[in-house]
Amino acid sequence: MSRGRLRALGPILAPSGSLLAVAIVGLLLDTYWQYVMAISISAAVIGGALAMLVGYARCITLTTGAMLAIGAYASTLPVVHAGVPFLAALLFATALGAVAGLVLAIPGVRFRSHNLAMITFVFQAVVIIILRESKTLTGGAEGIHVPPPVIFGLSFSNDANFLLLCGALFALVILPIAVLLAGPFGKNLRAIAANENAARAFGIDVRRYLIAAFTWSSAVIAFAGAVSAPRFRIIDPDSYGLMTSIFTLTYPIIGGMGSIWGGLVGGGVLRLFPELLRPLADYIDLAFCVLVVGTLTFFPDGLASAVWTVGRRGRKPSTGSAAIPGVAVARIAELSSATGFAPPTHGGRHGADAPVLTIESVSRSYGALRAVDGVSLSIASGALHGLMGPNGAGKTTLFNLVSGFVRADRGRVLLSGVSLENVPIERRIGLGMTRTFQHAATFQRLSCLDNVMIGLGRNTVFEGTSRSIAAALDRESFRAERRTALSALAAVGLGARADDMASALSLGDQRRLEIARAIASRPRIILLDEPVSGVSAEEAHRLRELLLAVNRELGIAMVVIEHNIRFLVSLCDRISVMSEGKVIAEGDAAAMVDDPRVRKVYFGEREVA
Amino acid sequence: MLEVSNLRVASGAMIRVAGLDLQLAQRGCIALLGPNGAGKTTSVEAIAGLLPKAAGRVMFDGIDITGLSPSAVARRGLALVPQWRELFPNFSVEETLLAGSNAARGRPPIPAAAVYDLFPRLAERRTQLAGSLSGGEQQMLAIGRALVTNPKVMLLDEPSAGLAVGIVRAFVDAVKRIRDGGVAILLVEQNLEIAAALAESCIVLAAGRVVWRGSASAAASNEEIRQAYFT
Amino acid sequence: MIVVGGLKVGAIYSLAALGIVVIYKATRVVNFAHGAFVLAGAYATYGVVEAVGLGYWPAYAIVPLATGVLAAAVEMIVLRPIRRADIFALITSTIFIGIGLSEIYRLVQNTEMLGVRNPVSGRPIFIGDVIITKEQIWVFGGALLSSLIGLAIFGYAPLGRGLRALAANPRGAVLCGYSIDGMNAMAWFLGGALAGLAGVFAAPSSGVSPELAVSMITAGFVAAVIGGFDSLRGALFGGLILGVAQTLAAAYISSATANAASFLLLFVVLMWRPEGLFPEAKIRDV
Repeated sequence: MSRGRLRALGPILAPSGSLLAVAIVGLLLDTYWQYVMAISISAAVIGGALAMLVGYARCITLTTGAMLAIGAYASTLPVVHAGVPFLAALLFATALGAVAGLVLAIPGVRFRSHNLAMITFVFQAVVIIILRESKTLTGGAEGIHVPPPVIFGLSFSNDANFLLLCGALFALVILPIAVLLAGPFGKNLRAIAANENAARAFGIDVRRYLIAAFTWSSAVIAFAGAVSAPRFRIIDPDSYGLMTSIFTLTYPIIGGMGSIWGGLVGGGVLRLFPELLRPLADYIDLAFCVLVVGTLTFFPDGLASAVWTVGRRGRKPSTGSAAIPGVAVARIAELSSATGFAPPTHGGRHGADAPVLTIESVSRSYGALRAVDGVSLSIASGALHGLMGPNGAGKTTLFNLVSGFVRADRGRVLLSGVSLENVPIERRIGLGMTRTFQHAATFQRLSCLDNVMIGLGRNTVFEGTSRSIAAALDRESFRAERRTALSALAAVGLGARADDMASALSLGDQRRLEIARAIASRPRIILLDEPVSGVSAEEAHRLRELLLAVNRELGIAMVVIEHNIRFLVSLCDRISVMSEGKVIAEGDAAAMVDDPRVRKVYFGEREVA
Repeated sequence: MLEVSNLRVASGAMIRVAGLDLQLAQRGCIALLGPNGAGKTTSVEAIAGLLPKAAGRVMFDGIDITGLSPSAVARRGLALVPQWRELFPNFSVEETLLAGSNAARGRPPIPAAAVYDLFPRLAERRTQLAGSLSGGEQQMLAIGRALVTNPKVMLLDEPSAGLAVGIVRAFVDAVKRIRDGGVAILLVEQNLEIAAALAESCIVLAAGRVVWRGSASAAASNEEIRQAYFT
Repeated sequence: MIVVGGLKVGAIYSLAALGIVVIYKATRVVNFAHGAFVLAGAYATYGVVEAVGLGYWPAYAIVPLATGVLAAAVEMIVLRPIRRADIFALITSTIFIGIGLSEIYRLVQNTEMLGVRNPVSGRPIFIGDVIITKEQIWVFGGALLSSLIGLAIFGYAPLGRGLRALAANPRGAVLCGYSIDGMNAMAWFLGGALAGLAGVFAAPSSGVSPELAVSMITAGFVAAVIGGFDSLRGALFGGLILGVAQTLAAAYISSATANAASFLLLFVVLMWRPEGLFPEAKIRDV
């Protein structure tokens, strides 16, 4: 096995390894500790599953108890009533958990925050009610007796071999979670939590990702419920109630929101407190509440993360630019010929003569206000086109109309001749259009490299999953993607900062990062919204050089909104001037500055007396 | 009445305002001019207390108000009419003025009638919701809301933005009357002609720095200043 | 009759929902600890009426004041530092604050459930075939009246105007001299007081126990959603609708489905008309 593959697989196998290790350590101790360890690794797995939903995607889910119950009952009932073998019942229970997650999420992810929390609460409550009321099937409130697991005739009825069974099964089930969270799938979830709009603009379908996250974590939690059930001997609905759901939330919150380890360690350790501190049982719940609120206030990334970063302090945003002075033109050329990476296919008409973007009489009103009023624009392939105008002229609204964040009342937008009328935001990167945002919308808690990898645009749920597997196995396809992303970073001068968090960058460098992210997929056109706002004159000059080089080497057309007129004139060939929703002038850049209509709009050469 | 010393505002490495000084006398009117991004709105927001990280000193009516919260500043009689107006869409005209009068607590109130006198259009639309008013009427209401706080100083941020020519004239007259009523005005404008009509002196900002000071009429006819807008 | 019973329960739900919506409108926080505030109110009622023996009339004044102060304290001490954080942190915090308060109650008061006497007693009234107890009238009338007073304060009083200004546009509210911190505390005070009143009215029939907290936050939330979450009038009607629906379900189907009814209602409203049955007209920001 190559060193690269070992290095990739290591972090992914480590969670499984540690679960097994805990189980083995338990075997060396007495039955009490074996019992405790079994509880601990079960909670660790729950924590790991919740890391995906709660830690990465920042969704509040109150369904954990219900999913555990589904797993426990769905694996016990077939064995008790129909003599189904344990492993088959386990599989069935896990599948049922996945289906439950799907059923919950499909309508549920329309909502966020409190409504989503409430929907999960409803699900939790309804499942328990159903279990309690179905007396004939489930034994109702009195519960049902769970026999020890029997696999191929072997009965796992004592603490030691049960612990071993748990260790093996849990090590197995945590593997897909580890793969997904370590790879692009997990990064995309974090991007969603960081900035939904930017995530969507780069091809991440938020709803589908959340549905996938719900499905995966529900399946794993059901698995945990099924495997743990025999230990309890009797299961009843009320042990899987709302309190269970709420207290399992503490695992990722206190343990750490940013990695699977936070959930694993959080679960494994926190679940032990009520066991080991029996005499203080009454106070434990209250203590947990205080701990959670305290953690949320002072350590928003979880206690574990706070402890780990004490050593490596997150660097404060630097004031100067870390970018290598002068633009690395060679690196840009490298990007254009990067081998092994095929950009997402851009449909439509290509060719130097066809306009890449056509805006036809587009209008959008908000009540009485005409934000954009009959604007038409045509951007030729490889053109550099500026957009200027006083505040409130409608420039950003126009960008939002073109990139899909706002629907037009009238008119249409064509990209390479293809109408964008019913194309959702997420699919526009696949058609060759990317954008930057007015307030640098980099994914702050992801590394620069991760930011640009998302910019590659291969972000459907399927691609996210397959790329995660490719990453885990250190496949050439993933390595090629990484190389491409690094080239894009180097091209904007941030090659040395690939592993730094985006939040550590100065504003000018964040704007560069946005540009790197926008060019990584080699789009046909980029919409740049105030790319130099807030940066020094020197930095603006350097960014201009960068954009010119990108345009020259990669043939990417650009539409640029800016208030810095000098920058705009020095960068663009043509400029459109907007005022009150309309384009009032358009033409050669230098000529616009002296155009009397433009001066009127800026200076108001109006009669006032 | 209003004295600003060495106002500095920075966000990260970017300096938005670098050392602004100004003295505004009672019944005076100063215009703050400059292109987009010059720091005019930032300066005015800093004076009104909306930017806690601003450095420098702001003396209002002899009292140091640097660092006070914006609501405290409003209650002392320094009223801001922001660029985006910031009205309450579901409040009627009447109610908006009632809300504004909250800032006049402890000081003699200015009745809504004064606002209706200044802007008869608003009187006609007393019970209409702010969200359904036209752009010009909303601007009138924003100024009216500032007026009922019984201010000694009013900061007007681009009041003529997006207004039709006919209404602009009415505005200029209204602001003149407010000034004559004893309120000092700090006016942020891009429109040189309006600034010249209202202010006796001007300060031109570019890239956060003061690049020109002088009388309004001199500013209006100065080609240099026009050029400054495009650098 | 059943509907009357439903209205009585519904009026209490309306009070709870009203408090949630007041806090939400003014501060944009969904207070999952609201049920715990109702529990606090019920417990305080026990204290005033049974333990200290002052009787009901002082309870109506003291309890809302106490729970209002409790809620404002929670806002000022615990939530203010978190306010800058994202919505996830805020919601999760209110969930755990609610559980924490319930736990404190459980630790302080070991017995399972405390009983509080009825505010009024006497022979029931007969209207045709319908039997209505005085208690039902009292609770329904009292809770409804409290809700209406709450609505009036929010809609017309200077305090309410400040809260509505804050809800409509915080930047604009500041320009009118309303301090954000002060207004936030006032919103929580008002919301907490309404929760306390709900507790006073609920105490006799539900008893004082941690389950009250869970049932109240559920009912309050569902009622608020039915009403559109951003509308006070909606919360009022939502509570009444929920109360009647629950009682009808319990009577005609089974007591277990009473709970399920509220969840079903919530789900249906969210799927079919997420803006609620009484949406406030949305006007674009000016």
